[in-house]
Amino acid sequence: MDFALTGEQLEMKRQFYEACIELEKLKPEGFAGLESWYGSDEYFGYHRHCAKEFAKRGWLSLNWPPEYGGTGTIIDVALFAEARGYHDIPGVDPFGVRMLAPTLLAFGSDELKRKLLPAIASAEATWCQLWSEPDAGSDLASLTATAVRKGDELIVNGQKTWTTGGHKADWGFGVFKTDLGAPKHRNLSFLVVDMKTPGITVEPILFMDGAHLYNAVYFDDVHVPAKNILGRENEGWKVFNLTAGFERSGGGEIMRMQCMLHDLVAYCNETRRDGKSLACDPLIRNRLSQVACEVEAARTLCLSVVDLQSRNEMSLMDAAGIKVFSSEVGQRLASLATDILGPFGQVKFSKWSPLSGVWEKEYQNFMRVIAGGANEVQKNIIALYGLGLPKAK
Amino acid sequence: MDLRYSEEQKILRNTVREFAKRRVPKTLVRELEEDAKGFSTDIWKEVANLGLLGCAIPSCYGGVGASFMDLTVLFEEMGRACIPGPFLPTVVASLTILDDGIEEAKASLLPDIAQGELILTIAALESEGITGAKGINVKATPKGGNFTVRGTKFFVEMAHVADRLLLATRTTNGKSAEDGITLFVANTRTHGISTEVIPTMGMDKLCEVRFDDVILSRQDMLGGTDEGWPIWQKSLERGALIKCAESVGGMQACVETTVNYSKDRVQYGNPIGSYQALQHIMADMWISMQTSRYLTYEAAWMESERMPCAKEVSMAKAYVNEAYKYVTKWGVRLHGAIGTTREQDVALYYRKAKAADTVFGGTDYHRDLVADKMGLLRDS
Repeated sequence: MDFALTGEQLEMKRQFYEACIELEKLKPEGFAGLESWYGSDEYFGYHRHCAKEFAKRGWLSLNWPPEYGGTGTIIDVALFAEARGYHDIPGVDPFGVRMLAPTLLAFGSDELKRKLLPAIASAEATWCQLWSEPDAGSDLASLTATAVRKGDELIVNGQKTWTTGGHKADWGFGVFKTDLGAPKHRNLSFLVVDMKTPGITVEPILFMDGAHLYNAVYFDDVHVPAKNILGRENEGWKVFNLTAGFERSGGGEIMRMQCMLHDLVAYCNETRRDGKSLACDPLIRNRLSQVACEVEAARTLCLSVVDLQSRNEMSLMDAAGIKVFSSEVGQRLASLATDILGPFGQVKFSKWSPLSGVWEKEYQNFMRVIAGGANEVQKNIIALYGLGLPKAK
Repeated sequence: MDLRYSEEQKILRNTVREFAKRRVPKTLVRELEEDAKGFSTDIWKEVANLGLLGCAIPSCYGGVGASFMDLTVLFEEMGRACIPGPFLPTVVASLTILDDGIEEAKASLLPDIAQGELILTIAALESEGITGAKGINVKATPKGGNFTVRGTKFFVEMAHVADRLLLATRTTNGKSAEDGITLFVANTRTHGISTEVIPTMGMDKLCEVRFDDVILSRQDMLGGTDEGWPIWQKSLERGALIKCAESVGGMQACVETTVNYSKDRVQYGNPIGSYQALQHIMADMWISMQTSRYLTYEAAWMESERMPCAKEVSMAKAYVNEAYKYVTKWGVRLHGAIGTTREQDVALYYRKAKAADTVFGGTDYHRDLVADKMGLLRDS
């Protein structure tokens, strides 16, 4: 049992952190977290700039097979995610790079691979994900958007929701019903869609704090080439399951928590209340260190998942476990941080906001506990597929 | 990075599992809890003969020469099996002697420890139950070339059968509590040492040990006069880590038992394990166990590689203390009323979890250390 990184991995880690430190200097004011990436033209421009810088170094295709330009392993991918997470640097398209590229490599036709992979590696194309629908969230397989065959085309109709960055995307991937007669799970196909195709309308869905990340995407007789199917027609559920499993380790989010914790510690050292620094308050010390232990526990569990991924041994249970634990720690941390800030915890990014208002934002962020498979569903997965507990009759 | 068990570690795990299956059924564990001695000399000897007591003792002293990481894996299995006996304190004390004892002490004690000929324990806590330097006040007064020790230690595991005590005393009231601590390896048969078993929830023979003008010599000292604190700190670190490993093993047993019970137990026409409320609790139990496992393993790896890891050790102990109690609490509750009975394994682990949380430092003690290490400054 060995936690050590190799010399090459340590060198890559150094390069990742070095690049992120440089890019951090260009970060616009108030930029914080995934919400910001698509939130304004200025922020999106910063994301695209970072993407181009990473593309130049070949870092958007790190663990692709060598014949497609890959130079590293999943461990390098994880180390890169940690560096970006710690410095809160955008630039890696979560959909194109982290989800679609490996799916294309596994299920895409040669034509599709040739057509789409280069633009992902070069950061020329931005992607979005067309999964959920108003009546199909956790129960995605019950979706109703259709893609009906007509010659060598599919005619797509329906509505997708929670599409992150859909308003900025060049391409989207998703699952649609292609066989209206077949039973659930056997009636879906995984498609890639050019977001500029006529008939597609994108409308914003705003968070409680007004941030624009999500969109509703409407399909009105949209013509998609049938060769845009990944894997086989009506076997899209299998492809979906593979895609959903990528990049589960979440090391970037954990490092972001660590960084925010560091900033919070500095804040507690510098801020006085009732004649003493916050850092002296025994209650704050105890609660902060409790959360710090939990963040560290998340980090080590994440390492164990990356280790399993490096040998293709990660199970559904392993992926679900780190997802649940890390996201719950994130919510506890945000809750504690806003407690410590007292009434200033509610202040938006402004001249009055402590720590650039990052905790006011984070407190309203439910993404990690709900998105990507709500935690309650993840616990079902752990129970049923991991612990082997029986299904209710 | 490769977090799989090494081949040696797999052998260690299997050795303990097989041994426990064959020789240490839970009925025996419960019997020994009621027994005045609290452990079986035969089992103690058999464990020694398997090389387990000498696991991390170098071969030049009669041990196996395995790593601290290997020792961690060993104690995880010991915790899962719940084998009664002074294994943990003996091993932790032996590592202190190995790292900081003079050659004479090492040569005379370590081979006997590896063979199972000597039982050691650690006399740490006193009447206020404080783990840190402030809690060490048993007085050792220089007299002639010797020291006279006066005071009482509490919760000394298996002191009533131990041959030697690793003892922390105060020789000087220095500027800070950490100055003025002196360590001894005391022979329990020294005149003036008396022991009484305190009845405790864990039924693990934690003793009150009184020192009535006990004379210890310079030869019994470990480290220099007033220089014991760094050695003691290191000892606490190792002990905390091994205790964490033991706790992870206990959590494993508890999760397995609970999941299996819930598959068999039928109520309202279904196995109770099919009910979502219970499924979610068991998922949370599994997560608590897995996070405890890797937090412990990383710190143990750092310790094994001789990297400074005081923060990581304290993080592990603070976290695992609470996780073990959580997992065992729900283990009992998911068994329903039967979980509260003497015959149930989960009830045993529940009690052990409470016993584990104050050994080598309670949660708040370790959280305070973490607070320091993470940079929360106290006002000067």
